[in-house]
Amino acid sequence: MAAIEVEHLHKTFRIPHEKRTTVFETLTGAFNPPMYENFHALNDINFTVEEGEALGIIGENGSGKSTLLKIIAKILRPSAGSVTTTKKLTPFLELGVGFQPNLTAAENVKIYATIMGMQKREINDKIYGIIEFAGLEKFKDTKLKNFSSGMQVRLAFSTAIQTDPEILLMDEVLAVGDMEFQQKCMDVLSQYRKDGVTIVFVSHDLGAVRRFCDKTLLLNKGKQVVLGNTGEVLDRYVYGGGNEALNSSEKQNESKIAEIEVKSENKTPMWEDKEIEITNVEFYDKFDNKGARFNSFDPMTVRIFYNAHKKIYDPVFGIALYSENGENLFGTNTELKKVSIDSIEGKGHIDLLIERIPMITGRFLLTVAVHTHDQKPYDWHDKQYSFDVIPTCRDAGIFEVPCNWKI
Amino acid sequence: MIFKHIEELYSYRNLIWQLAWSDFKLRYKNSMLGYLWSLLEPLLMLLVLYLVFTNLMKNQIEHYQLFLFIGIILWGFLSRATNAGMFSIVEKANIVKKIYFPRDIFVISSCITALLMSIFESVVFAMFMVFYRIPVSINLVYAPLILLFLCIISLGLSLALSALNVFYKDVQFIWQVLLQIGFYLTPIIYTIEIFPKNLQKFVLLNPIARIIISARNTIIYSSPAKMEDLLFMLLSSIVFLFIGYIIFSKLESRFAEEI
Repeated sequence: MAAIEVEHLHKTFRIPHEKRTTVFETLTGAFNPPMYENFHALNDINFTVEEGEALGIIGENGSGKSTLLKIIAKILRPSAGSVTTTKKLTPFLELGVGFQPNLTAAENVKIYATIMGMQKREINDKIYGIIEFAGLEKFKDTKLKNFSSGMQVRLAFSTAIQTDPEILLMDEVLAVGDMEFQQKCMDVLSQYRKDGVTIVFVSHDLGAVRRFCDKTLLLNKGKQVVLGNTGEVLDRYVYGGGNEALNSSEKQNESKIAEIEVKSENKTPMWEDKEIEITNVEFYDKFDNKGARFNSFDPMTVRIFYNAHKKIYDPVFGIALYSENGENLFGTNTELKKVSIDSIEGKGHIDLLIERIPMITGRFLLTVAVHTHDQKPYDWHDKQYSFDVIPTCRDAGIFEVPCNWKI
Repeated sequence: MIFKHIEELYSYRNLIWQLAWSDFKLRYKNSMLGYLWSLLEPLLMLLVLYLVFTNLMKNQIEHYQLFLFIGIILWGFLSRATNAGMFSIVEKANIVKKIYFPRDIFVISSCITALLMSIFESVVFAMFMVFYRIPVSINLVYAPLILLFLCIISLGLSLALSALNVFYKDVQFIWQVLLQIGFYLTPIIYTIEIFPKNLQKFVLLNPIARIIISARNTIIYSSPAKMEDLLFMLLSSIVFLFIGYIIFSKLESRFAEEI
């Protein structure tokens, strides 16, 4: 049975050119109707979530994810189309809705739990458990304003998870808090999954989406790009497949690169002997599509385009990989890998094949160089290329270390 | 439709009460002294008006101190409830934008907060009654009914004001002016007889005027409420609630976008 059914959902926001916020303005402007700009936040969205299923919603910022979630939660009304829910909704759009800094922890738990739809008796039974779980027994009569933000989040979280959801709507709640807190959230989410709670989960954390969601909906600028099996949709998202969102992020990268180039030209003298010029570097994913975003542990190809202005014998191509903070993580070149290039002339490219990206998450910068065997450079692009790695596992850190546990 | 909504509201009764009670506590910062301070304003007003009108104006109204006090309490409730109600949606923007429940819950709970605040004044009023040895009669049974009408009218006004206040920022100033005018057009500090005979019927079009007059008659002067007044109050509370509710539900759908 479908727990949530969304049919031909449209949402249009009317954005007035000149906003009238007073009765006076409205009366004086009565014969002069205001101009509106229509912003289509959502366009013809259709999906169903079966009972006990978990749906992930992903997309760039501004793609309409949160708007969609708010419409399901009945906070916003659709402009056209319909949303039907058959069970009780519990939205976790934000933790601690309605918290009052001037009331005590216990009072706030009472109000928040009531807002989240818990019954009076249930609250009275659970309140000490909630405060204990948050580790705040000593502070139950302390005003909330004297709590650190971490304590407030803990209190809100332990209250929120006491609700007995049938349909859970989650929006980036996991994005706040430290590692331990995120872990707790994950555990709770897993438990809800086991209990057969229907979940709609909006997140930028593709790793979490991959772990928890059966189905995923990819939105782009308010349009439903693809809905399907999570693995496939995430691949589609990460590797683009020609969607506009990817192009825009590439453009950003390009402009960044251009900026760096200008800077480096100003700062450093033209010490490279440009007999060979590196003209471009491109990254290719496992489907041979160009991109700047990769799943961790997937294969990747770095293609270096060059233009040799004359015939050059025995050049050495090299790369160096940096973290976003500029730490050198790895470097290699054709000489070290005992690859000798007899000679090159004119335009061409050389590929570096990476079987398996060992990085877990982050943005990485790439330096590309071509030089002679005695380190005399022909061309050198320092940290001018970048790509992002999206996590597909729950391990922490930058790199995966191949390992196993044994007792 | 209406009954379904009332049923839904009933299922949220715990939330309504929690919101009202926490707002009430917040207003007085949880201190006993806070409650006492809140009495100071109406008592001071009572004192000043009493001194002015008994000594300077030499009026001959029987039990003028109580006559005045009841008007101040009832008008104070209307003003407090509508002011709190007017901001009940705007102030709770963070909740309105993050979770759904029927939004009129905020308005209802703010009116309850205002009612809680008026209880202290009523207790002091009761003490006055005892102190001046005013006899009470069976006619006191009308008082709760009259107060109920006042609550419903306040709720109707609050519903309209709270919704309009989301969209128009000057509603609050307009309402202050209207309340100020209303205070002098309503027989609060004087009897209706000071208005010329032919104007009195217009003054009585204001349901609050009838509420205050009837409340005085039943509570202080031990006389029954007039059937005509009761009917007028009943009718006007239905009209106020109905119109307020229509305005509110028309605008409610855009609250989360506009706040």
